[in-house]
Amino acid sequence: MHGPEVTWYVVLAAMLFVIGALGVLVRRSPLIILLSVEIMLNGSNLALIAFARHVGREDGQIFAIAVMAIAASEVVVGLGLIVAMGRRNVELDVDKLRTLRG
Amino acid sequence: MRLIDAASWVCLLAPLAACALIALAGERLGRRACGLISTATTMVAFAAAVAVFARMLAEPSAARAHATSAWTWLQAGRYHFGLTLLSDQLSVMMMLIVTGVGSLIVAYSVGYMDGEDEERRYFAYMSLFVFSMLLLVQAGNLLLLLAGWGMVGLSSYLLIGFYQRRPEAVAAAKKAFVMNAFGDATMALALFLLIEHTGALDFASVFARAPRHGTVAALIALGLLGGAVAKSAQIPLHTWLPDAMEGPTPVSALIHAATMVTAGVYLIVRTHPLFQDAKAVEDLAAGLGAATLLMAGLIALVQVDIKRVIAYSTMSQIGYMFVGAGIGAYPSAMFHLMTHAFFKALLFLAAGIVIHALGGEQDIRRMGGLGRVLPATRALFLVGSLSLVGVPPFAGFFSKDSIIAATLTRGAFGYCLFAVCLAGAFLTGLYSFRLYLLVFGGPQSDFAREHLHRPEGRLEAPPSMVWTVAVLALGATVAGFLQFARVWHPLTTWLAPVAAPLADASNRQEAVASVASVALGLAGIGVASVLYGARRRRAPRPLALLEHRFYWDELYAAVFYRPAELAALGLARFVEAPLIAGSIGELSRGLRLGAGELGRAQNGLVRSYVLAIASGVALLAVVFLSTR
Repeated sequence: MHGPEVTWYVVLAAMLFVIGALGVLVRRSPLIILLSVEIMLNGSNLALIAFARHVGREDGQIFAIAVMAIAASEVVVGLGLIVAMGRRNVELDVDKLRTLRG
Repeated sequence: MRLIDAASWVCLLAPLAACALIALAGERLGRRACGLISTATTMVAFAAAVAVFARMLAEPSAARAHATSAWTWLQAGRYHFGLTLLSDQLSVMMMLIVTGVGSLIVAYSVGYMDGEDEERRYFAYMSLFVFSMLLLVQAGNLLLLLAGWGMVGLSSYLLIGFYQRRPEAVAAAKKAFVMNAFGDATMALALFLLIEHTGALDFASVFARAPRHGTVAALIALGLLGGAVAKSAQIPLHTWLPDAMEGPTPVSALIHAATMVTAGVYLIVRTHPLFQDAKAVEDLAAGLGAATLLMAGLIALVQVDIKRVIAYSTMSQIGYMFVGAGIGAYPSAMFHLMTHAFFKALLFLAAGIVIHALGGEQDIRRMGGLGRVLPATRALFLVGSLSLVGVPPFAGFFSKDSIIAATLTRGAFGYCLFAVCLAGAFLTGLYSFRLYLLVFGGPQSDFAREHLHRPEGRLEAPPSMVWTVAVLALGATVAGFLQFARVWHPLTTWLAPVAAPLADASNRQEAVASVASVALGLAGIGVASVLYGARRRRAPRPLALLEHRFYWDELYAAVFYRPAELAALGLARFVEAPLIAGSIGELSRGLRLGAGELGRAQNGLVRSYVLAIASGVALLAVVFLSTR
């Protein structure tokens, strides 16, 4: 087994996840939120691959590929929405988009 | 399957098929077609009943009972109740009456209901009734009999309330149903007792194993008597019958004169071994019959509605049958049931022609002098009235007198019954000829002159209405010759294996009863012709007691209706309003308040949702980790 212990990978993955989550929570631009979500997904991907290598099986890698596919589709939809909002001159600020208020 | 069984099933199911066909086909069948289908199937049922009768005639008298089971209808633990039909001497007699008179009345309805709204519904109900009545009389066990009993009540309810836009008709239907339900309940209780003590409900086992004496035997007989009294409109459950005249006239003829109301007599005769074990209840049946025949005869004297007069006379005649069944003169009771079916259906249908001719008017004070314009109806009505009064040689004479003669065989109690029956005979002559003279005699009333609509050159009524009544008149004239005192009694012989008479009047008793009752009947006719013939203006004023029908309705209103109404009002005011309605209001107010508060959490900010999700996940992670 080469390279650092699995702990380091998991710590890095957790850091990425938390950074992403904080980004989602504190930023207002939908674009940045989307980006932060991507960071979270990549954090979880890293954890999956690290554990796959630690256990010595390929399941985690397969899951990571699936997550990437989902992330790609999500970006397509999310960016499409954002572009559509920009075209309609909607202000790109999630705090202003509150029409679903109960 | 033997022919006799097949014919029994055909007889039972043909009217049901007509009912289903008319109900399901709806508008696809023409109005006229529905009436014809209904008539044809009832006639098919009659033909089947005749076939059963003919086959039975060829058999030895001891082997004439045939039971046929389709399948086990109900099974509960050790008890099996088959869908069993029993064809024996008694049930075939009832089948012939029900389908014979029934098909005539249904045929009459084709003309009577012509142009009426919802003719189809009428004929579907009519077929349903014939089916129910046949189920009642053909039932091979008491459970099936109870089912028929209830269905007969249902179809009676539907037909009384046929004119559903008239509030009186709806109220009358409800009244009839409730009173009949009371009888159904006591009968069901009697059946529970029978199941407990005999473990079966088919007639043979019940009669063999039923408790012979004691309270249980009396309670069983009392429960059955309750059912019979309610269905046959005897005191104290009689008040529904006059109101039931709100239904169409053929319905009154078929259900409330010829067949359904006589079911109580059939029940007593059918289950007479159970009644013989409870002498007190038997005497009670006879006493109730006597009281009813006297009271109904008195009330009939002052009624002004043509159909109600006949309704009270029906009650009175069924009172005679109850007297007969109560003292054990079963063949006489059944004989009177049969002749009564003829002449009472005849009277109702003739009254229907009068009502039809006057455009729906039923008040006899507005009639008069109709004999000149409706001569055939007058003759038919006269035949019916004479038969009702019991003037020889019409049918009522033979059957009624055999009951009256039988009362003489029962000692002191029998003499009381005898006296009441004779008084009833006098009243019968009086009220039936009061009716006849007021409607057909005297000068033509203004109302009749204005409202009588009969195009020149036409018959009095559609032919289907006239010939059916004529056939019934023939029956009312000749049916009596079926049996004459001790000389000629094929009916008693026929019924002997099922219901042998316990009261056998001697020749002298028969003669005394006949002479006395005919004399009193003729006296009644004489008094009626003096009072209501030429000098009708001087007719006596009716007593208030009679006009209020002995205050039975008022009594029931005071004893049952008012307390129930007061209790309901009290409950509505002190329980419903504060507790039930109030609590619902509070509950809804609380829910609305809570929902409003909770709604604030949904503020539309994506970030707060994300925070909620993230903190939830964090919480779950902590919980999982700490509980591992």
